[in-house]
Amino acid sequence: MADRSEAPVGIRLEAVSVRFRHAVAGDVDAVRSLNLTVEPGELLTLLGPSGCGKTTTLRMIAGFQAPSSGRVCIGERDVTNSMANARNIGFVFQNYALFPHLSVFENVAYGLRVRELPRQAITERVEEVLALVGLARYGRQLPHQLSGGEQQRVALARAIVIRPSVLLFDEPLSNLDAKLRVQMRLEIQRLQKRLGTTAVYVTHDQEEAMAISDRIVVMNRGEIVQQGSAETLYRRPTNQFVAQFIGRSNLLSARIVETAGDRIVLDIQGTRHAVRHRAASLAPGASVQLVVRPEAVTLVAAGQPGMLQGAVTAKIYLGDKIEYHVEVASREIEAVTYNAVARGSPEVGEHVGLRLPDDGLTVLPVEAP
Amino acid sequence: MSIAASPPRGAGRLSADPATLATLLVLAALLALFVVFPLVVLLWRTFVQDGQFTVAPVLAVLLQPHHRAAFVNSLWLATLVGVLGTLLGFLFAVTATRAGLSERAVRLLDAATLLSLVSPPFTTSISFLFSFGPRGLVTYHLLGLSGVSVYGLTSTLCAEVLTYFPLAYLTLRPMLASIDGSIEDAAFSLGASRWRMFRTVTMPLAIPGFANAFLLLFAASLADFATPLILAGNQFPVLPTEAYLQITGLFDMTGGAALSFVLLVPATAVYLLQRYWVGRRHFVTVTGKAGARSAIPRVSPAAKLSLVLACVAVASFMAFLYALLFYASIVVAFGANDALTLNHYHVIFTEGLKAIGDTLIIAGIGMPLGGLYGVLVGYLIGRGRFVGRQLLEVVSMINYALPGTIVGIAYLIAFNDPPIALTGTALIIIACYVFRYSPSGIRATVALLSQIDRSIEEASQSLGARSTTTFRRIMLPLLVPAFFAGLGVVFIRSMTAISATIFLVSVGWTLITVRILENMTELSLGPAAAFSVFVIVVVLAVLGAVNALLRRYRATVGGAAAGFTAA
Repeated sequence: MADRSEAPVGIRLEAVSVRFRHAVAGDVDAVRSLNLTVEPGELLTLLGPSGCGKTTTLRMIAGFQAPSSGRVCIGERDVTNSMANARNIGFVFQNYALFPHLSVFENVAYGLRVRELPRQAITERVEEVLALVGLARYGRQLPHQLSGGEQQRVALARAIVIRPSVLLFDEPLSNLDAKLRVQMRLEIQRLQKRLGTTAVYVTHDQEEAMAISDRIVVMNRGEIVQQGSAETLYRRPTNQFVAQFIGRSNLLSARIVETAGDRIVLDIQGTRHAVRHRAASLAPGASVQLVVRPEAVTLVAAGQPGMLQGAVTAKIYLGDKIEYHVEVASREIEAVTYNAVARGSPEVGEHVGLRLPDDGLTVLPVEAP
Repeated sequence: MSIAASPPRGAGRLSADPATLATLLVLAALLALFVVFPLVVLLWRTFVQDGQFTVAPVLAVLLQPHHRAAFVNSLWLATLVGVLGTLLGFLFAVTATRAGLSERAVRLLDAATLLSLVSPPFTTSISFLFSFGPRGLVTYHLLGLSGVSVYGLTSTLCAEVLTYFPLAYLTLRPMLASIDGSIEDAAFSLGASRWRMFRTVTMPLAIPGFANAFLLLFAASLADFATPLILAGNQFPVLPTEAYLQITGLFDMTGGAALSFVLLVPATAVYLLQRYWVGRRHFVTVTGKAGARSAIPRVSPAAKLSLVLACVAVASFMAFLYALLFYASIVVAFGANDALTLNHYHVIFTEGLKAIGDTLIIAGIGMPLGGLYGVLVGYLIGRGRFVGRQLLEVVSMINYALPGTIVGIAYLIAFNDPPIALTGTALIIIACYVFRYSPSGIRATVALLSQIDRSIEEASQSLGARSTTTFRRIMLPLLVPAFFAGLGVVFIRSMTAISATIFLVSVGWTLITVRILENMTELSLGPAAAFSVFVIVVVLAVLGAVNALLRRYRATVGGAAAGFTAA
């Protein structure tokens, strides 16, 4: 398996749209003129809330959903009009979709039998793949005799045994419990790297996406809102949606007082803060949104000048960290302190000052609601 | 749900409660009287003579060539009906669930299959005579054949297949619909063609449905009395008609009882097979959140066209048969004088008025009783905690599972003489219908109860309500859909059934279906057709009314409400 000869291929979506006819809302665009390139050998994740069009996009690549317009290419081949069974894809379904009447062996062998491989080759490859996913001795079992994690492995084995051009994952871990999810996503990642097969992975779980992906594409309302590595998305979100969807963040309204080189001075509710920012388009007087991650906020004693002041409304001890909710001018700001001791730190009702760092904050233009 | 599997909470609750205990005792007494007692008497009459156990009557049946032929014919006919009916039902089910038809087109398919479920069982047979009989539209007028005999295996088979294939459709359609779409998508993604996917994934998953449908049709054909009576003719005797002739023709009660027993054996075998083997075998195809069905059509355009054409052909043929029936009811003499007339309707509303009145009275009384009985028994089976709960379930299903001929003969023998002489009354007919056709209501109630969380009742109890209050104020309103489902089936069958009640009609109380049969034997086909049309119209009207009521009820109450099907 590991020594596959064919070079991995890329995927290209060119201006694809999917329009659904909705009984109440009229025509709805599930995917809107979307352009996307998946590099050969890459593991790309489509991330977004439910209804954002990520699954529809994946199903278009698979051939389960025809685009209303646009082109789908796998490698150099335009597959827009070819059916799912002619695309040589490996699809891992959210509910595994194992054939309940076939044994584990026959489930995995299905795609090979369709390809009319010799009996001997089928047996060899199925056994090889079952060993690869750690189910070497499960061949005779029926799907319903397996646990959720084992069913997931069978689904994985069934998808990779046919040596697909691309591997497609539709929220494959959402039916597993939390611990198994973490384990399986690691295994999926390792397997993908080992096979070198181009993969597209759909999830609504940002942590899963960050853990597994080479690149994350964040989608909302049928469009791509930002793409990049996990770190890029977390540290440099380009819009409010990504700022709030990836990790937790406080969005503070601010006004630009002055700009000087890579530094700008912001007015946040009457207090002034100098932050580093390189964008040139921001002029003094403009209203902006400041993205502040909870871990960037430091709680200090109340009353120090030049700082936001507030009262602690909730204090949640979570072991490795303490989470505070601080009310500042009638809105709530979240702050997180790591490795803190519960005793001695601010209590509910206490007045505190909030110190913001001058680096690592993101300034976003105000978006139309 | 078995007693052992359920938690001990509330154990003994029902039997400790006087009102429920009283209900239980009354129901037990009624079941003993109207289900167990007649069956025991039937077996007694078969196996005991002058206080001695004997197998002579059964042996006599098996040794008599004509009866033995009837036995073999019955099994052969039932097998053929089972196979062909299942195939036809599968054709319709595949078309409805896989051909990508619009909802409206699927509703048309439903309507085509509904019609034969609400018609008297022999309407198809009558239409067969009209189209393929000696003076039939097709055989005589179109093909110019004369001297054709319509009677025999072929026409009986065709008529029964057309009458009963909707049972297979109703079994297979939900089966196919419940197969998770992503399983078929998975086969696609692995490179399978549509035909291969259908052959290797869809069909194997439907196998339990096939078995179930086959057994249902086998049982229906085995029990069918009306169709062979009209179409089988002398050369093709079957058991139900033989038993009938034995009793009404020869007044041989023991012979009739023995013939019934011979029929009872395969019927029971099929019932047990269906209930304890096939009924429990099904693949759970949804392992997690069900995936969206692929937007890719399941069948190729050519396959879709052939499927639709085949269904349209069958549906058209059925429509043709019903149109013929209607036509026959408005012409002077079908095949001979095509002048339009309302005379046949005049006849049924004058001479036939008593049958119509009797039938409506019996159906009208049986309907609420059957609905209530179904809900009560269903509630005790679904929620009760008492010794003998499973016995109650089995006994309440007996009359439903047995061929009508057996039930009718058992009632006739059991209630003919004191101590309980009911022959000639309306009561015996009503009792027959209620205990034979309420199991639909019982099943609907049990199914509905499984969706209603037990904590709702516990909430009522915790607020201090007695069990009767809980049942009346909380459960009954929630069970209304099941009540109507049960009531609807009892009404439909009271209007259309004949196999059991033909033994129970009298000078005092007669039925439309029996009059239709009499008309057929007297060759007054016009009134027979008019009666049939009348029955279909009334049944459809009542069915529509019940469904409208249910819809309105569901709109106001909402929530878990089981659908109402005619089966």
